[in-house]
Amino acid sequence: MAESTWRDYKETKFHKPLPLKGIRVLEVCTLLLGPSGPGFLARLGAEVIKCEVPPMGDTLRSMAPFSYFFKDQSTSLIRPNPNKYWIGLDLHKPEAQKVFLELAAKADIIEENLRPGVMERWNVGYRQILEVNPRIIYIAKTGFGQWGQYAEENRPSNDGAAQGMSGYAWISRFPGRPPLKNRLYICDSYGALLGEVAVLAALHYRDRTGKGQYIELSQSEAIMRTMSWVWPYQQITGKCAEPAGNRDVSICPADTFRCADDSFVAIAAPDDEEFRGLCRAMGRPELADDPRFKDHLTRLQEENAVEILRIIAEWARTKTPEEIERLAEEYGFAASRVCSIKDVVENEHSRARGFLTEVDDPLLGEFLDYEFPVMMSKTSPRVRWSVRPVGFDNEFVMKYILGKSDEEIRQLYECGALGKWAQVRGRRPPPDWDGRAGLILSHE
Amino acid sequence: MGEQQRWQDWIRERDDPRIASTKPEALDDLVVLDLSYKSFAGCYCSSLLAEFGAEVLRIEPPGGDFIRKCTPYGILYKGEGLNYLSEGRNKFHITLNLEKPEGRELLKGLAAQADVLIETFRPGQMDEWGIGYETLREINPRLIYASITPFGQFGPKSHSRMPDYDNVIQARSGNQYDNGEMLPEGKTYDDCPWAVPTKAGPWIGWVVAGTYMAVGILAALHWREQTGEGQALDVATYEAYTSLEDWAAIWYQGAGVVSERFGNLNIGGWLYCFAPTQDGAVFLGGLRLEMWQAFADMLGKWDEWGAAEWKDLADFSTREEQLKWAELVFAETRKYTTEELVRMAVEYGQKGRLAPITPVVAPVCSPQEAMRDPNWLDRGIFTPVQDPVYGEVIVAQSQYKLSETPIRIKWVCRPVGYDNEYIYLKYLGLGPRRLKRLKEAGVI
Repeated sequence: MAESTWRDYKETKFHKPLPLKGIRVLEVCTLLLGPSGPGFLARLGAEVIKCEVPPMGDTLRSMAPFSYFFKDQSTSLIRPNPNKYWIGLDLHKPEAQKVFLELAAKADIIEENLRPGVMERWNVGYRQILEVNPRIIYIAKTGFGQWGQYAEENRPSNDGAAQGMSGYAWISRFPGRPPLKNRLYICDSYGALLGEVAVLAALHYRDRTGKGQYIELSQSEAIMRTMSWVWPYQQITGKCAEPAGNRDVSICPADTFRCADDSFVAIAAPDDEEFRGLCRAMGRPELADDPRFKDHLTRLQEENAVEILRIIAEWARTKTPEEIERLAEEYGFAASRVCSIKDVVENEHSRARGFLTEVDDPLLGEFLDYEFPVMMSKTSPRVRWSVRPVGFDNEFVMKYILGKSDEEIRQLYECGALGKWAQVRGRRPPPDWDGRAGLILSHE
Repeated sequence: MGEQQRWQDWIRERDDPRIASTKPEALDDLVVLDLSYKSFAGCYCSSLLAEFGAEVLRIEPPGGDFIRKCTPYGILYKGEGLNYLSEGRNKFHITLNLEKPEGRELLKGLAAQADVLIETFRPGQMDEWGIGYETLREINPRLIYASITPFGQFGPKSHSRMPDYDNVIQARSGNQYDNGEMLPEGKTYDDCPWAVPTKAGPWIGWVVAGTYMAVGILAALHWREQTGEGQALDVATYEAYTSLEDWAAIWYQGAGVVSERFGNLNIGGWLYCFAPTQDGAVFLGGLRLEMWQAFADMLGKWDEWGAAEWKDLADFSTREEQLKWAELVFAETRKYTTEELVRMAVEYGQKGRLAPITPVVAPVCSPQEAMRDPNWLDRGIFTPVQDPVYGEVIVAQSQYKLSETPIRIKWVCRPVGYDNEYIYLKYLGLGPRRLKRLKEAGVI
């Protein structure tokens, strides 16, 4: 299994190049749909400059589970925003717009998730960027795209709205129960991920031809793309696709079962060999030869599916998830306990792979973050540093990337084009910050 | 320059999916071998590349991939499962028996001419066959070799015998555990078998893993443009899905709290929930204080609820406060229909006390309602595809819109081995007589 290719992968990560080295990204993004996209690129080595309106910045900075803040930072801010440079740039101001265009002229990619037309009102829309940088790749992510009825109505959107309007939540629940909003911000996070497929495809095209382009993504359309059988099913049968709880109606048997200790285990054993293995593990080898369960298409039929799932449920009720996982390994079917976040963070396998990666951040201290989940043998993605207060890297970006003098920078502060954080939770540095740690151009 | 054209009209002229065929394709210089087996993640990954014009050779064993038979309730349409019908798009379908040495030699010939190879076999299987990464990179150093498996290519559990199915990925990822309805006070699972950890979406775990791999492949491709070198990529499917989680791991590390189910409310903050209406449900979003105030005002509760005095959204975001306020809010939303509430929000944004602040109110739709929504129809998401084999088929598409290199669907699917003649002739010079011999020998 390519032993030598992956040997010491985790240990040698920092001794390898990054795949997007030399790619510069500007983001004008808030919440999750916007920032997560550049966040993926930042893990792959792009230089991402995140522009926020000072002093409050990204709305995401307010979000925290039951109002718990991690060292005064929003817990939600961390995953979408590693490795970025943070500037507080008030794009309502002409002087800030000019700075943005200067950065845009030197950028490869721009990402934004404002309502359609807002960037143009600020004189930094796609048409204005084209004048300073015709090679730009520009992605705009919204609820409903740039045109069409809902865009014209200027409807606001966010993840929950997309979960509702796409049918995703309606179908992800138990029959007879109300629609269930997914606990993940899945339409934000997945929309952002899918958007990067388009951005990197556009980058490949630019590598070939020198041409940039404009990309628009609607988070509802993105999640609808994932719903596979639902659409042809509705077309072909004329019926609405129905929810089925934890049962996978395309795979049989595949469901979540309650165990002896009232915890839960997911099991799947659809192909004939796997199913035979499961039957033997249950001590019921004869079931594999039962005409009702003789092959996958037969098992999938409603009556048969209900029956076999009932039989498995009875059996699972007498076992623990650990016992079932062991049997799955032995008999070659798939099973996993329903893992809690404790199981996830303590997962030894993911730690050994470096998917759970130890970050040593100058502001936040040591903690485990999720690494980009594609391990790349020659160009390992990685998290280097974490989130920063609004405007934390103003001086670095203005001086190092744009070459501005102290006097020019002073003027930008004076007119309010540049700004820093408000002294409130979620915006300011951690309470134990020494006034220096993490600053790149520190004069003191 | 005269009056500038409205932005939405200008961009629509350039990125409407209806004009896709007049434009170039971003990835039409690439050849991709998709060997995925029993994995929708692999199929979805290669679909994302095929939509951009990559020539994807879908390689199945002579009997076809088992995934074709994973279809809701066992329904076949013209012999095809409905999930596969959706993800065969634009691919050339050939058969090859990798269990035979001659088959493996043919694969080496194809790999020598390919840019990307996607595989989902148990780690080690490809090496045992003598066609693993370390062999193929000798034949083609530019090859990007992408593996998608349950536990990845390395780490203590990578030798697992378990197959990989979506519902088990969801359980293992941690994202099922804290998703679902809360068990009502004093009730048990026997009373409420729906108040359990609940999975989401049709195959979202597989889809997320496949999409991540597409991003990884494209990043590796950019690096190859710079250096000429291919590499190996490794996704463990549950890690991919885990990594879309936003705050729970940080919460656990910082405060020791294990995230538990919170139904249609949102642990990450108020106001963000599904609420019941007279005839269904709506999503309510107000992640800034003034949006929550606007929402209270819209319901006529400005004075009664003392909205003018509210200071900080965090005061509403604890568990107790959310449960208390949810009850008050739901009592109001039940008085209206979904449509009334959606319209009230739009009108409030125009002439309410806090206008243009608009509370987000969105309908929770069934997937059938979504498929009939004129907005998505106008945007080309459900445009039927004319397929020479399957006729007119509706599958989700146009999930992103690009001005230079739009994606497009040329055909939805192909029966097993449909393109053997063309592809084996094109790449390996195997004309009808040689092909016949290979067929008789059980190689193709």
